[in-house]
Amino acid sequence: MTAVVAKTSIYTPRSCRLLTVEQLTPQEKLFRLQLLDGSELQHQPGQFVQVSLPGLTEAPISIASSPTRTGDFELGVRKAGSLTSALHSLQPGAQIGIRGPFGRPFQMESLRGKQLLLIAGGCGLAPLRSLIQYCQDCRDQFASVQIFYGARSPQDLMFRRDLDSWQIDDNFSCRYTVDNKPADSCFDGETGLITELLNEVVLQPENSCAVVVGPPTMYRPVIAELRRLGLTSEKQIMLSLERQMRCGIGKCGHCSIEHLTCCCDGPIFWLEEVEHLRGAL
Amino acid sequence: MLKSLKREDLLRLLETLAEQYDLQVPLKLPDGTRQLGRYGSGELSLCGPLLQRKPTSLLFPQAELLLSINPDGSVEQPHPAEKPLALFGLERSDLAAIAFLDRFFLCEPADDIYQGKRENSLLIGLTGFAGENSAYLPPAGENCDLELIATADGWLGCAYSAAGKTLLAPFPDSEAKERTEIDQRAAEPKTDSLLKAASRLLREDKVPDAFWQEIADRCILCTGCNLVCPTCSCFCVQDRIRDGKTERSRVWDSCQLDAFMREASGHNPLGTEALRTRRRIHHKLVADVERWGEIGCIACGRCDRTCPTGIGMFAVVEEMINQFG
Repeated sequence: MTAVVAKTSIYTPRSCRLLTVEQLTPQEKLFRLQLLDGSELQHQPGQFVQVSLPGLTEAPISIASSPTRTGDFELGVRKAGSLTSALHSLQPGAQIGIRGPFGRPFQMESLRGKQLLLIAGGCGLAPLRSLIQYCQDCRDQFASVQIFYGARSPQDLMFRRDLDSWQIDDNFSCRYTVDNKPADSCFDGETGLITELLNEVVLQPENSCAVVVGPPTMYRPVIAELRRLGLTSEKQIMLSLERQMRCGIGKCGHCSIEHLTCCCDGPIFWLEEVEHLRGAL
Repeated sequence: MLKSLKREDLLRLLETLAEQYDLQVPLKLPDGTRQLGRYGSGELSLCGPLLQRKPTSLLFPQAELLLSINPDGSVEQPHPAEKPLALFGLERSDLAAIAFLDRFFLCEPADDIYQGKRENSLLIGLTGFAGENSAYLPPAGENCDLELIATADGWLGCAYSAAGKTLLAPFPDSEAKERTEIDQRAAEPKTDSLLKAASRLLREDKVPDAFWQEIADRCILCTGCNLVCPTCSCFCVQDRIRDGKTERSRVWDSCQLDAFMREASGHNPLGTEALRTRRRIHHKLVADVERWGEIGCIACGRCDRTCPTGIGMFAVVEEMINQFG
């Protein structure tokens, strides 16, 4: 008997329409998308999609909006390779393919009722924004929400409008900093490493949970600071790791971390699941 | 129940299989080696050395079309094969490799491209005195639909699936004592104990980084170890545009290459040859044990025969045991 091949496979992208494009930084844009068939993406905060462009294969992109905001979804994309460069040249109305959502999301059941420290560096704010928006829309589920964000320079700060709105939101505490600011910059915000912001945090460690999303160099110093603050038990520090996730279904091997795959077992991990694995952090 | 087959019975079985399946059998190549090829397209070579090209390549080919994207954005799936595959003449290690890939590709979320090839396919083991110069090959067991065991004067047939039983039904029953004689030779190969010893050394963290650097210094990055390995399953995805139509394929990839894990940001978790060499061995001997409960090397020896600088799996394992065991 001949094998039956379905009309679609797990590798088949779905078509989306690009609704709006917003320049976030010189290197990053925010793309608002809608599935052509009118369905919801049905993602959870922390998940990602594979963006597909003909001729350029696919790239994994974190979803930057919360599923509580229905009708469309957003992707914050840094221009880094050939596919993201082509994506940056697209105008509203263009069609692109996506597969997903993929990956293990932020573990919401472990975050509910807790004092949250949401910490991002660089373009790590894109995936964290999906959780921040979720916290905004379901604020009564969390004891408190403190946001910390660090970027290299004022022009590298993503989601400036969001950051400013979170700062004046009574439900949140939000601080952001830049590593350096040029002498001629009119930036009047804080300067220094993100760990310096964490120095001054006051919390009840036994009822706190931290979520860290950042470039690889940020994890170890931030984790050390969180431990100093008393977050030393299991399931208190959640990380989002970045790897070259090519297939999204744990098969291609490019995102393996020892016996785990970042695309299926992650990208969200508890610290204790990965800290002993070589090359994870 | 074991069946008894003579050589002409076996040829009759092949004819039956060729009617229903895309039958791939061991064929003799001009250089004396053997590899699976379509039945009838070359000289049949039932007994002999290990098949040079890994039989798993018929289920997970070196390059495989995943889909095509038309200029209007619509997506087409590849045409299904006319007949399901039947792989004939597999020895125990190759069947173990297929079982390994089955578990890997078919676990959730399942890879439906692999599943499409594997569904309704048939695996036929060839064991007993079927090795090079009639060397004894250990029993294949239940990793196949049916097993043909070479004896001094013919073949024993043993079915493990409904399809296998149907195929063997026309043949007469055999005397049970013959199978007993064959099974008595089924001891654990020495290679398995070497792999287990090396796996233990790695899990106990007894192998220093300097060892991997020293092995990596000998690597010429030919990627042959990965390409010949029946359980290596890493792939990259490539697009090729022809007449406005994009053909998206997956192609075998190698963890020994610098770009394997390099991200668009430049971050590379496997940024040195030493790390990549460690990954090649460690993944099979430790990560696969953690993930699947068994070592990912099926001890076929292909990488050792292929590696131009002598750092295949067993060369590395023996060196590791000599130094740190």
